[in-house]
Amino acid sequence: MKKQHRDQHDDDLTINGNGVSRRAFMGYLSGALAAGTLLGPTDVWAQSGGKAGLLRVGANANPSSLDPATGGSGSDHVFLYPLYDTLVTWDFESLKAEPGLAERWEFTDSTTLVLTVKQGVRFHDGSALDANAVKTNLDRSRGAEFSNIRADLASVDNVAVTGEHEVTLTLKNPDTALPLILSDRAGMMVSPAALEKHGGRVDRNPVGAGFMRFGNWADGSEVVVSRFDDYHDPANRPALGGIEFKVITDSATRLRAVMSGQADLAYHLDGRQKPLVEKMPTLSGSISSTIYVYQLYMNMARKPMDDVRVRQAINHAIDRDAFIRATMAGAGEPAYMNLPESHWAFDKQTAGLYPHDPEKAKALLAEAGYPDGIELDLRGYNDQSSVQMQEVLLAQFAKAGIRGRFRTGTIADMSAAYFGQEKTGDMLLSAWTGRPDPSLSYSLMYTEDAYFNAGSVAPPDGFNEALLASRSSDDIEQRKAALAKVQRLVMENALVAPLAFRQSIVASNDKVSGYRNNLLGKPKFNGVSLKG
Amino acid sequence: MTTAVKANRVKQKMVVSRLLQALPILVLATFIVFSLMQLIPGDVAVTLAGENASAERIAQIREAYGLNQPFLAQYGDWLWRAAQGDLGASLLSGEPVAQTIARTFPNTLLIAVYAVLLSVLVGVPLGILAATRSGSPLDSGIMGAASLGVAVPNFWFGMILVLYLALTFKWFPATGFVSPREDFSAALWYATLPALALCTNGIAEIARQLRSSLVEIQSSQHVRTLHAKGLSPARILWKHGLKNVSVNLLTVVGLLFNKILAATVVVEAVFAIPGIGSSIVNAVLQGDFPVVQGAVLAMVVTVILVNLFTDLACTVLDPRISEA
Repeated sequence: MKKQHRDQHDDDLTINGNGVSRRAFMGYLSGALAAGTLLGPTDVWAQSGGKAGLLRVGANANPSSLDPATGGSGSDHVFLYPLYDTLVTWDFESLKAEPGLAERWEFTDSTTLVLTVKQGVRFHDGSALDANAVKTNLDRSRGAEFSNIRADLASVDNVAVTGEHEVTLTLKNPDTALPLILSDRAGMMVSPAALEKHGGRVDRNPVGAGFMRFGNWADGSEVVVSRFDDYHDPANRPALGGIEFKVITDSATRLRAVMSGQADLAYHLDGRQKPLVEKMPTLSGSISSTIYVYQLYMNMARKPMDDVRVRQAINHAIDRDAFIRATMAGAGEPAYMNLPESHWAFDKQTAGLYPHDPEKAKALLAEAGYPDGIELDLRGYNDQSSVQMQEVLLAQFAKAGIRGRFRTGTIADMSAAYFGQEKTGDMLLSAWTGRPDPSLSYSLMYTEDAYFNAGSVAPPDGFNEALLASRSSDDIEQRKAALAKVQRLVMENALVAPLAFRQSIVASNDKVSGYRNNLLGKPKFNGVSLKG
Repeated sequence: MTTAVKANRVKQKMVVSRLLQALPILVLATFIVFSLMQLIPGDVAVTLAGENASAERIAQIREAYGLNQPFLAQYGDWLWRAAQGDLGASLLSGEPVAQTIARTFPNTLLIAVYAVLLSVLVGVPLGILAATRSGSPLDSGIMGAASLGVAVPNFWFGMILVLYLALTFKWFPATGFVSPREDFSAALWYATLPALALCTNGIAEIARQLRSSLVEIQSSQHVRTLHAKGLSPARILWKHGLKNVSVNLLTVVGLLFNKILAATVVVEAVFAIPGIGSSIVNAVLQGDFPVVQGAVLAMVVTVILVNLFTDLACTVLDPRISEA
């Protein structure tokens, strides 16, 4: 939840010069201006142009830590990816698992995963990345007191070095989600020598095997990394001399930094900035879907949410296209399930379950014994963009006989009250940031003891079996079929009302080439180069 | 000679007593901030624990950072260390707070001083102009603009400046900063737009205050006598008018500096400047209390020193103050 909180808290100040009497202010300003222009554009211009090959990136948040095992924020990954290579990587468009530092992996039986580590890989400090280093990392991530990712590796029972470049993971239960888990924090390899030197954690002195090595981190201001010349992948030799991440929390300011030349690229821009990114001739935009989905969580232990027909009615009452136009400036993909269309496990059949149909919603409510409609206790957050979403939803609900009022508060308060001990409210408007493997999303939201299943209501029959099946096979078609079943059970029983996938909006100037968005929505800069 | 010695004694006494008075203010200010931090929502232990953390893990973190201690014990602990010069380290990043202050405060101070200088350089001539042509259209024009200047919110004005001077004309950078310790001229260039955004209120305030004081003095009896004795209006203005209002002006400038220092919090966000204001905002949002406490302490000390300096300068300009 933490991650989405921060994401939602991107500020929304936008430039709006319309209607300002330019002459009046310029006149008034003239005195002050005279003093300012006396300084003149000196050689300092050159500094804003950047050093050769240095990509200047406008980042939305200061990292919580540069140690993959101790950090807690979803916005850290953008800083971590250049520093640490992961055992497994993913395809940018579909998030399918691809070889990384582990050139091969194989489930020799359902509870044994054998990883073959690429040979000749060195960390930034020159030490070798071999099977021992992988074991040190995995054991630290799943065992260390301070590790924030112990849950990610909960299914691992034992890690054994079975060859100089071979690691064998023995699992407590079948878990084919592991390869993709190893594309995330748990798969980021830290130099064991550095760990030893810095007392087991490298929050501020990261040493990995990524294409960039750590330079400097000034809190809340910038993180600077520079090219690692001995990077292991000759096909992907870094074309950049370095990356300078400038922390600019306000998204309008971040975009201005690119427009006025203090940054080459800015990510996590707001939907409202999409038209600006598209229209400015000096900017190029990369805009694509992510797995970050806005949704209404449902507490199925409360009346009338315990009736599946009510939950289905809510899903039918939502006009997702209008919602996106009105609240996200069109920068979204309608969500009919927890995965966007380009994801490898997307299920077309499930996506057709809930066309916008207020009449059908009314009929379903009547069938459930509410011919006069229902009154709901709704919860949400109090930031500007959340409130806007709430207003649009209420208007859509009203047409289907669903009434209610959103009570709002800070993200921390409202989500703690909804999911935690108190269990207040019938529905909560929030978001799900997604996980590298979809089976994790489903188990974290819908199983009986899941924190995000506010009512702790048991999932429909067959759900647990299908979920288990999706984690028991490593054949992608079989996994797809099992996950389609999971997804269909979730949506047929309307355990959630998904609304829209957020788009990743990245703006860059014309010097940047080779940048591609990915479905996770966390930019990677591996193939990026600078012209001129 | 004896009067000079006496005046010096008085000044020394004043400095010592002012510094002593500052101590309870420091303690009180940090205590109030610490108490407010307890009231705002958000829990640094939850932030530190990361996503999907168990209640047990959060409890462990509270224990490890002493966050489960009673409120007064936590504050007492902080105060005791601070008194020994140890401001602690950020709970989130681990950076020592003293280092954070050393890194960010010069940026904020540069902008604030720059804005005060601009306010004086523009505000004083405007005030004199308005006062010497009191009642003329020029006077009403300047005073009208000054009313507007007081009313305009500086973050909004900052955006307008960015829109024209950075994005349209590209004279100044729209965001970012260079530390004055690295490259002073570049730092000044980066600080210009933020300082311009901050100085509008200052220019207006100084111009208004100066005008009203000067108008008052110029209509006083001793000025009338000076006119009667045949002194030129310029000489009267410089020698008698401005000298008389200088104490008043200095007080306004001192207050203005404190006001501008507070306003940097917002302006730093608009211009993405790594100053102490944005450090405080980030730390407050995340419940990182050592950073908040340390930064507030640094600002309070600055304000106290500026006030002290203003008072001392006033006694130099007007010896009657130290006699009082």
